[in-house]
Amino acid sequence: MKGLAPLFIGIFGTFAFSWVGLTVIPTWQIGHLNPESDEEGTDIYPRPQSGMFVRGAHVYAANGCAYCHSQQVRADYIADDIERKWGNRRSAPRDYIFERPVFLGKMRMGQDLANIGARAPAPEESPAPGGAASPAAATSPATTTAAAPASAPSTAPAASPGTSPARAVPPNASPPPGQPTGVASPSPGQMANTTPGGSSPAAPSAQTPGAPWPIQTAGLPPMYSAAWHHVHLYAPRSINPDSNMPAYRFLYERRRVAGERSADALQLSGGDAPPEGWEVVPTFDAKCVVAYLMGLNQSHPLKEVRSVGGAPAAGAAPSPASQGAAPAPPAAGSPAAPKK
Amino acid sequence: MNTTGIPLKDPEVSAAAGDMEQLERAYIDASTRVPVLMFYTSAIAWLIVGTVLAMVVSFKLHSPDLLGGISFLTWGRLRPAHMNVMVYGWASMAGMGTAVWLMARLCRATLRFPLLIAAGAAFWNVGVLIGVGAILLGDSTGFQWLEFPRYVAVILFVAYTLMASWAVLMFRYRRGDQIYITQWYLLGAFLWFPWVYAAGQLMLFVVPVQGVLQSAVTWWYANNLLFLWFGAIALGTAYYMIPKVIGRPVYSYHLATIGFWTYALFSSWTGMTRLVDGPFPAWMITASIAATILTMIPVATVGLNHHLTMQGYFPLMRYSPTLRFTVFGAMSYTVFSVIGVLISLRSVASYVNFTQVSIAYSHLGLYAFFTMTIFGSMYYIVPRLVGREWRYGSLIKLHFWASAYGIGLMTLMLLAGGFLQGANMENPALPFSESIETVLPYLRGRSLAGILLTVSHFIFAYHFGLMLLGLGRTSTVPTFLNPVEAETSGGH
Repeated sequence: MKGLAPLFIGIFGTFAFSWVGLTVIPTWQIGHLNPESDEEGTDIYPRPQSGMFVRGAHVYAANGCAYCHSQQVRADYIADDIERKWGNRRSAPRDYIFERPVFLGKMRMGQDLANIGARAPAPEESPAPGGAASPAAATSPATTTAAAPASAPSTAPAASPGTSPARAVPPNASPPPGQPTGVASPSPGQMANTTPGGSSPAAPSAQTPGAPWPIQTAGLPPMYSAAWHHVHLYAPRSINPDSNMPAYRFLYERRRVAGERSADALQLSGGDAPPEGWEVVPTFDAKCVVAYLMGLNQSHPLKEVRSVGGAPAAGAAPSPASQGAAPAPPAAGSPAAPKK
Repeated sequence: MNTTGIPLKDPEVSAAAGDMEQLERAYIDASTRVPVLMFYTSAIAWLIVGTVLAMVVSFKLHSPDLLGGISFLTWGRLRPAHMNVMVYGWASMAGMGTAVWLMARLCRATLRFPLLIAAGAAFWNVGVLIGVGAILLGDSTGFQWLEFPRYVAVILFVAYTLMASWAVLMFRYRRGDQIYITQWYLLGAFLWFPWVYAAGQLMLFVVPVQGVLQSAVTWWYANNLLFLWFGAIALGTAYYMIPKVIGRPVYSYHLATIGFWTYALFSSWTGMTRLVDGPFPAWMITASIAATILTMIPVATVGLNHHLTMQGYFPLMRYSPTLRFTVFGAMSYTVFSVIGVLISLRSVASYVNFTQVSIAYSHLGLYAFFTMTIFGSMYYIVPRLVGREWRYGSLIKLHFWASAYGIGLMTLMLLAGGFLQGANMENPALPFSESIETVLPYLRGRSLAGILLTVSHFIFAYHFGLMLLGLGRTSTVPTFLNPVEAETSGGH
């Protein structure tokens, strides 16, 4: 090859071609999406998140959660993400328009977290410590108006009991034999949380004793509640002995109980529990990261994506997977009814 | 093979080229001594740091309570620290050292202002140091491959300008019309890196794109860094070292031309294969898969070219450390690309997308292909800079085999473990935790491979340290891996 000019032009041209093709044109195509709403302009989704959510996302980034947890649900005809109850529909670009950074993730050494907030028990059952209550409320999904964290006082989990043929869990689905059944407070809601296989007809065999995780463990807060997340972050192996998640103890403070035990002190048991007269409380960062997790929720239908379960994606239709099966167990059929 | 009994010769030195040419070459090498040795020294220091980090990361993945509970030693911070040390500390510095030296040699021009380049290298070191510190202290940006905070990007950019501009400006002072294949790749790398880096920074931090496009930009950046920066340097190096060591011209210039342009065109489009089935318009992913399949063209042409150049000379790998490492790297390029095609196909990707297979792929590219090629070039270049030959052939052999077995075992473990992990993950009858349980034994195997790599890197660092201290052999014959007589007596 002779002469620098053709070489230089070629080098520049190939770069420009790929830059335009893979970043500029997509930006033009999907880089300016707006939230969706129904005809009346209500029921807007997605919505900007709270300040704690944003800060929590930075804690999430700083501690590298995304290297083990993805946040994307693939379509039902591609993979079994939906069958695993990681969501009730595939993720769409619109789900992420307010997120920065976006943690789509490239690895699943842990579960997908795109809908972890949607799996939380309803707020009244979740003694969310540390201000995470508000995002948690977003997950009481009886009607689809409750998608945004701030607008979530939907206290009517009874709204549409059992209309979801595919997903609704029989509230009293009895835990299979051999499964630990000790529950902090034996409300049906939490019972529902203890029956991962019950909600998934495809996975009856998952019920071998001790194998499936997560399951509600005795003495712990309801699964996927804010309090549960704190215990899980502080001592993952107290919830699942086989977990290989790091313990994020540095996000928590061990201190002497001054007067009364703090309301947000962790409900630890066994070897992880602090000695008498001490307590473990979350730092602000820990509260933020839990608020972040509780805010991750893509259960709201989107027009461009088919929600599995046959319900039309129209705004007012109840999201098929977000039914409370009965007033008492509001979390029973949330999109991510317990997962293994 | 060469009839003189010494199979490795620099043909131009021995044959027609006179004293003038040797003298000129010595001058050029001398002009690059300070900056290139500085690049290499820092690169190897980072390599050791990154290796230690890698060991901790690997062990923590299956023993999570190891060094647990300390913020800056948490797995999620050590992993990006390891990655960035290797990418920006080791690979970029080492690649730059080799590239600057090759550039000077091929332009037949002495390197001007070597001290400016050395200053750039110092700046770059400072940037990487601050960046890694920031990651460990919890200031990561959260974008894979771009975890360094913004202020570090500024330092790196200034440093890069200081370093690369002189390498590119050498073209102005070059002698001769011909631009050799290696120079295409190196010029490409030197120009692509700042563009890709700037585009990544711009679209993620300065005028951030919306939503999922951040991920698209991140992986576009990461793949382009892998292909257009590291890959281009490694291919350029292989195109120089293989013909040089065996003393035979490249088989075909035409093949090389085709290989270079198709490489530039297609590999730059492959980024979205990391996001198959993700929330993106289907055409983006399809285009990347198509481009990945088309990268088989450069793979075939480059591989064929190297193979035909080497044909009949493969036995020389017995003797020459440079050749052995470089050929290993060149072959790994083919393996890396073929696996890249396989795992990008939609049907396969839906299994392996979120598994250790992607780690295997990255290590095939950055280690088996790039790092091994660069090791080879270091075995060639360092003696010419310090005026000594490598002290122990046995250490070089040990380095090679520990590296080769280490990366081979690691790739196998991660590929096998990843495929099983993916198969279990895609089997809804099994609980999710089953897929993790499945891969854990393979991760332990990976840690074993990591020990091999650690050994090899410490050996190499020690050997390089001896060279730096002037403790190499003084000899007119390069250090061979095996006594030359062994071959001649065995062969006849």
